[in-house]
Amino acid sequence: MIPTVSASGLSLRYGRAQALDDVSLRLTQGVTGLLGPNGAGKTTLLRVLATAVPADRGAFTVLGHDPAAPAGRQELRRGLGYLPQTPGFHPDFTAFEFVDYVAILKELTDRTARHREVRRVLDQVDLAEVRGKRIKKLSGGMRQRVALAAALVGDPGFLVLDEPTVGLDPEQRMRFRELIAQAGEGRTVLLSTHQTEDVAMLCHRVLVMAGGRIRFDGTPAELTARAAGRVWSSTERDPAAKAGWRTGTGSFRNVGSPPDGADLLEPTLEDGYLLTLDGADAEVAA
Amino acid sequence: MSDQERDRGTWHVAAEDLAAYARGQLAPPALWSADSHLLACAVCRTRLAEAGDPVGLEAGWARLDAELDAPRPGLFESLLLRLGVADHTARLLAATSVLRRSWLAAVVFLLVTTVGAVYSSGSPTLFLALAPLLPLAGVALAYGPAVDPTYEMAVVSPVHGFRLLMIRTVAVLVAGIGLNGLATLALPSYGLRALAWLLPALALTATGLALIPRLGPVLAPSLVGGAWLALLLAEAGDHGPLVPFTAAGQGAAAALAALAMGLLYLVRDRFDVFSGSAA
Repeated sequence: MIPTVSASGLSLRYGRAQALDDVSLRLTQGVTGLLGPNGAGKTTLLRVLATAVPADRGAFTVLGHDPAAPAGRQELRRGLGYLPQTPGFHPDFTAFEFVDYVAILKELTDRTARHREVRRVLDQVDLAEVRGKRIKKLSGGMRQRVALAAALVGDPGFLVLDEPTVGLDPEQRMRFRELIAQAGEGRTVLLSTHQTEDVAMLCHRVLVMAGGRIRFDGTPAELTARAAGRVWSSTERDPAAKAGWRTGTGSFRNVGSPPDGADLLEPTLEDGYLLTLDGADAEVAA
Repeated sequence: MSDQERDRGTWHVAAEDLAAYARGQLAPPALWSADSHLLACAVCRTRLAEAGDPVGLEAGWARLDAELDAPRPGLFESLLLRLGVADHTARLLAATSVLRRSWLAAVVFLLVTTVGAVYSSGSPTLFLALAPLLPLAGVALAYGPAVDPTYEMAVVSPVHGFRLLMIRTVAVLVAGIGLNGLATLALPSYGLRALAWLLPALALTATGLALIPRLGPVLAPSLVGGAWLALLLAEAGDHGPLVPFTAAGQGAAAALAALAMGLLYLVRDRFDVFSGSAA
């Protein structure tokens, strides 16, 4: 499959911090999850790919456009939808006015066509009924859907979503996942998240970042398989475990190198993620 | 009120405009007038149904339907539309916080107070010192991640950051210089001397903008404003007009404004990526 996004050797330093360290990736159609702890470099990578911040080194193309030259950058942006980590709103705008504003930024200047597009994306995120309401009167979940609608204006081929489910209650999160899954049909979505459930439910592929580098690149099943034979149950927390916690049944779930004869459990995506991060920590410490 | 009553005493859409509307060929602003009128006038809706071909009529109804959903522009946006500003530019400007009533009211209050102080002190110096800072502050507060909640979305949009900056700058300058100009009219006894703020205002604003890519949208205008105040304070002890308000000072301000505008043009591409901390 032809990649929508192709990046090689992306590096970026903020002062003494190496935010991105030789990142290379290829993204194809569908939803790709980007997992990693705080400070892993996820937001920086998203900002670089969204052309908000230039990388110090490396190159990338999105939809065949190279942002190194102004013309390529503008073409790339025409095919981009971006939902930042903390989307800002003009609080006095209604949902319609805000999306209309973003549509103007996306060069939709014809009023009739623009308003038709605004209505389309607001319908797509189920906000048709509240389009005349001021944003400051909408719930957090609705605001996040307004921001998603704004990102969907112009039917972009590459959609960048930076932790869109943070702060949402479980019902809102589930609704938002449905919308992301829908948005991922026929386009490339890069979804940064802390929630392994987001990845398990939505993504055909997952990247794990730590310390500015990609530590894993594969399917969710492959990430889960990393923990096969490395998760076990015990009545007390096993001090040899990399991580361990008491479950609802009262027993401990341990992740790491199990002792002989351990009561092995079925691994989850989160177990694979924890072990990948642990490997990254060990590499950094070494 | 019935439609018939509402129709009484009002105008109706001209036949040729109605025919163009039905064909989907009526251009703004006549299109907007027709849209608004058709919402309220049963007579014209009937005439439209008779005038149009079915396909064009369907498009007209779709547009009318969309019009019903479209937001009514606020006071400021309506004013811009009446002045002939394109609706998309008016919407961009409506999102500029310093063009809101609260900011403009604060500027008016400051200018009225300053003009009052000029009358009581018998010297225009305070007004001349303050007036150049207002456009600079306005422009500084119209752009950047600290003051524009949608800054990050705007940066990655295909509209060039410099173009967006210039649209807002021109609007803020027109508002700021307009208010300063009105305040100047309240000081007729000083003649042209009361206009000595204009060139320094342009110089400070252009310099502040030109330094943004290097120093950031907060530090650059702050430093320029601070330098202006430091210059005036250094001169304050001397008798006679302060140097920036003499002929030589005005010439220097004009030269600085031209230089800064040239520099601003050279660094225009730097406004197309994130400015400030992106970490």
